[in-house]
Amino acid sequence: MSKALSITSALLLAGFSFTALSPAKAATVTIGTDVDAGTLDPRLARDTTAYRATDLIYSGLVHVTPSLEARPDLAESWETPDPTTWIFKLRPNLKFSDGSPLTADDVVFTFSTILNKDFNAPMRALYTPISAVEAVDPQTVKFTLSAPYAPLLSYLDIGIVSKALVEGGNDIALKPVGAGPMKLASWTRGSAIELEANPNYWGEKPKADKVSLKIIGDGSARAQAFEAGDLDVIQSPLAPQDVKRLEADDRFGHAIQAGLGVTYVNFNTKDPLLSSPKMRKAFSMLIDQKTIVDDIYQGVDQVASSIILPSSWAYSADIKQPGFDIEGAAALFKEEGWADTNGDGILDKGGKPLTVTLSTHSEDSNRVQTVEFLQAIFQAAGVDAKTQISDWPSFSANYVQKSQHQIALLGWLNIVDPDRLLFAQLTTGGSTNWGGYSNPTVDDLLKQGRSATAQADRVAAYQKAAAILADELPYYIVSYQGYQLFYSKKLPFEVQATPRGNMRGLIGLKD
Amino acid sequence: MLSYVIRRLLLLIPMAAGMVIVTFCLLLLIPGDPASVLLGQEASAEAINNLRTTLGLNDPWYIRLGSYFAALLQGDMGRSIFQNQAVSEIIAGRLGATIELAVVALILACLIGISLGVLAATKQGSLIDTVSMIFAQLGVSMPVYWLGLLLMLLFAVTLGWLPSIGRGVPLPEALIAAITGQPGVFLDSLSHIILPALALAANSAAIISRLVRTSMLEVLREDFVRTAYAKGLRRGRVVIRHALRNALLPVLSVIGLRFGALLGGAVLTETIFAWPGLGQLTITAISQRDLPLIQGIVLTFAIIFALVNLVVDLLYAAVDPRIRLG
Repeated sequence: MSKALSITSALLLAGFSFTALSPAKAATVTIGTDVDAGTLDPRLARDTTAYRATDLIYSGLVHVTPSLEARPDLAESWETPDPTTWIFKLRPNLKFSDGSPLTADDVVFTFSTILNKDFNAPMRALYTPISAVEAVDPQTVKFTLSAPYAPLLSYLDIGIVSKALVEGGNDIALKPVGAGPMKLASWTRGSAIELEANPNYWGEKPKADKVSLKIIGDGSARAQAFEAGDLDVIQSPLAPQDVKRLEADDRFGHAIQAGLGVTYVNFNTKDPLLSSPKMRKAFSMLIDQKTIVDDIYQGVDQVASSIILPSSWAYSADIKQPGFDIEGAAALFKEEGWADTNGDGILDKGGKPLTVTLSTHSEDSNRVQTVEFLQAIFQAAGVDAKTQISDWPSFSANYVQKSQHQIALLGWLNIVDPDRLLFAQLTTGGSTNWGGYSNPTVDDLLKQGRSATAQADRVAAYQKAAAILADELPYYIVSYQGYQLFYSKKLPFEVQATPRGNMRGLIGLKD
Repeated sequence: MLSYVIRRLLLLIPMAAGMVIVTFCLLLLIPGDPASVLLGQEASAEAINNLRTTLGLNDPWYIRLGSYFAALLQGDMGRSIFQNQAVSEIIAGRLGATIELAVVALILACLIGISLGVLAATKQGSLIDTVSMIFAQLGVSMPVYWLGLLLMLLFAVTLGWLPSIGRGVPLPEALIAAITGQPGVFLDSLSHIILPALALAANSAAIISRLVRTSMLEVLREDFVRTAYAKGLRRGRVVIRHALRNALLPVLSVIGLRFGALLGGAVLTETIFAWPGLGQLTITAISQRDLPLIQGIVLTFAIIFALVNLVVDLLYAAVDPRIRLG
């Protein structure tokens, strides 16, 4: 027995020294991520890993910088002869990573497939104002729009795919070929995506030769693997508790900044109880944003004041939703005829108690805690609050998207333009207007916001709309989500954070 | 014997069909729609419905079940909605990792469980007995994901001895590499599997040790053990050759059942340690409502479980001459 033990320990020791002696992988960056990519076809990407990996493998017409400016990428310049025409000039001699040429035909093919209904591209709705895409010559692409559409440029960073490869029957979802700074070396489903530098990339060479994306589903395990030195970089989504601990560790550098997401309360304005803006305002005044942000999100997120992100060009500090005010809420309930007539601690009207259901999805434990915390405040204010918590597929498809909810807590991500959080969500009959909000003035303002060509006109339209929304409250924005990035100080180059979590800044590229 | 095995194998067919129907009904009952998960929050109701039609989700349930069976009979488990790959291909790519983890965990569980059980029984009432049974109690009550995180914290983060995540080269390949003069590859694979296998094994080791202890205590009081001692045999020989062999009989069937539990436990262990096996795939498939993939995984697990039980029954007959199969 003791002999067997000593052999085992000798073997193990040899194992450790083997690990310790393996050569330093100077230019490999190992990044932890929460889910495996569903596909590496940028047109079909729908999870964070797919967005982030395809952003390295592919290039779009433009590249969106960390400060959300569109810069030339595959397109070296563009012009808009009239508000519904955009003409892009591609760089000369562009190549995909397999060496084949990238031309205007590939751009046309990419956008035509995205716009094809049967292709089922998740982001199709962002591109529907495009009525035609055509190749003027091999280096020129012309987009014709059905109406002026200002946000378009921020969405044209989607990767361009090779027409020849796709039409030749190659499955680019599994074997992607793009014109980005990296190319796929290998992909072990559920475990790791390995990328290496693309020698045919038109731009500056990345400082990292290799990127290894390790998939670790559990957030705490991912943080621990990072602390153990098995990962060089981790980023949002992370648990606020892990963020606090890693922040204090001086082996790691970090970037903690405003992200591009919001956590918000969706009021169902079609519900008889919530159809009056006064009632929505009263419930909003019961939302203690400061406690939610400081104690549940541990200060990683930021208290929100309006539907426009503070980092946006359209933001104005003068537009403010109502703040936390229990007495103010009580006064509003009273104005609406709710009073505790039978002394049971719950407000009632016409013999019916004031009952409301708060809901969210179970995957995000911080949202679950927030809903439970809100339930307690609502109860204290005389509202009989119930909670309903289910997993995302049933919460989204069977509940909120079917407008079955009363007050739901959820979020929106990737708000690169105010339009992305407003148009589909809050115009009458909008495709994701699950709360059924309708206000013709807001409809007009949001249409102006997306079609105005002068930036000042867009700002004015969005600010007017935001002011109305802060008063009528179909949405109550609870917090602006933070973005966090942690990296090992041993990385041989500087790291730049992007609020979307894109990774070009993690391989040594700037902006 | 052969006819018994064939009969048991034939029984697999109705069992598998039953499993498919039960899983199908469960999936019909749970709310949530893969089309809406696939297209994300920003998709319109029209786009979701369009995709549902493409995926065949708008067909009545009997047509869906019927076409699933029809395809299954031709060996086709369908395509994963999310990974856009044949389900059989995806499962084949992951199965090896899970079986490897479960087998290593089972070996660890047997080694630890049987040693502790025998020690505790032969030194009944001593400190060793108390310590082993405290371990057994802890092992039974500790959730695998928590133990996994604790092990990772100690051995990977604090001590830095073992890698925290991932898998090396598959063990069989690594063994061949070791034989052909690359021991490093084998040791790397070994260092990756130790923590997840230990986390996964703890619960089974605890159950096995308690069972072995009880069973050993009973056997040690039997007449034939006294006879063996009376014949002047050494204590070690009596305990291992005579008592343990008899005490292991009831344990054997439990070990077989534990293999099933290990496959189930792998679902959580694999998620913690980023082990690229079926367990992790199961969690993802369920959270996405990837219906064909869930069906395929459940069917695979059911068949493995049935086969393991068959092997255990055969072993049982081999070990205990009183049992005849036929």
